[in-house]
Amino acid sequence: MRSVLLIILLTALITAAGQAAATDPVQFDYMMNCQGCHLPDGAGFPARNVPAVAGNLGNFLTVEGGREFLVQVPGSAQSDLDDARLAAVLNWMLKTFSAAQLPSDWQPYDAAEVRQLRQFPLIEVTPLRHRLMQQIEAQLQESKR
Amino acid sequence: MLGKWLDNTVEHVTRRQARLTSRRSLLSRFGLLVIGAGFAPLLPVFRAGAFAEAPGIPEEGDPNHCSYWRYCAMDGYLCGCCGGSATSCPPGTVVSDITWIGTCRNPADGKHYVISYNDCCGKSACGNCGCQRDEGDTPLYRPQNSNNVNWCAGSQADVPYHCSLAVVIGVKE
Repeated sequence: MRSVLLIILLTALITAAGQAAATDPVQFDYMMNCQGCHLPDGAGFPARNVPAVAGNLGNFLTVEGGREFLVQVPGSAQSDLDDARLAAVLNWMLKTFSAAQLPSDWQPYDAAEVRQLRQFPLIEVTPLRHRLMQQIEAQLQESKR
Repeated sequence: MLGKWLDNTVEHVTRRQARLTSRRSLLSRFGLLVIGAGFAPLLPVFRAGAFAEAPGIPEEGDPNHCSYWRYCAMDGYLCGCCGGSATSCPPGTVVSDITWIGTCRNPADGKHYVISYNDCCGKSACGNCGCQRDEGDTPLYRPQNSNNVNWCAGSQADVPYHCSLAVVIGVKE
């Protein structure tokens, strides 16, 4: 009898546990605007031309034009997010997926900077990205030496 | 040496068992366990979340029917009618991680949930439970929110599309 009561109690506890908790609003914006391609862990799918942001994004802040690129790239600039929310998502992505690459004197994006930058969309995205990646690569080699 | 020790131990344990239990007691206890196990699933316990990913998502409706709440932006075949479920691909297909993501309102609690419409890829179209509701679908020139894109093109299996999932990945505040 005691064991039956125990089973009932345990089952009731398990089913009652965990009301679905609300997703963090910034992560929600990432889910709705970025995660479909860049994936939950930021890994992307380089084999299908979806760049990895994890372990890479912060490197862009270390080369000239990289900070601007992260705002002007079509996925950012042409998203439905307003300036403040886009700034928040970019800061969240940098901290969540690329904390190790962030420069120590890093300044987060704010709405004013994002508003100013996204007025100038990129025309040649892929060649520019390629150039930036080469600069990043060269810099990493330099720092290893 | 070891064999002797093993013999002694086994003998000790068996004799002890024989001394402390009767055959009838074993039978009755075993019978109780079998009957009890049969009755446990019949206990009146609330099980609405039984097939949901995260505990605590209140559910109503049939996940194998187009009217189910998660399919508000669906355009495809329901994997539950193709040998899988609303959240898992049928055997022989691979899930496309790259996908499109939207929200649907759950009538059971009125909250908006974030739904990931992953496609299952690698076999020809399933053909069962075709479902096209298209709420919030955008034209192809806004591809990130268009359900006409064949998302299998971004999967390991490439283009052949079989069916679509509707996985809850978040809750809107």
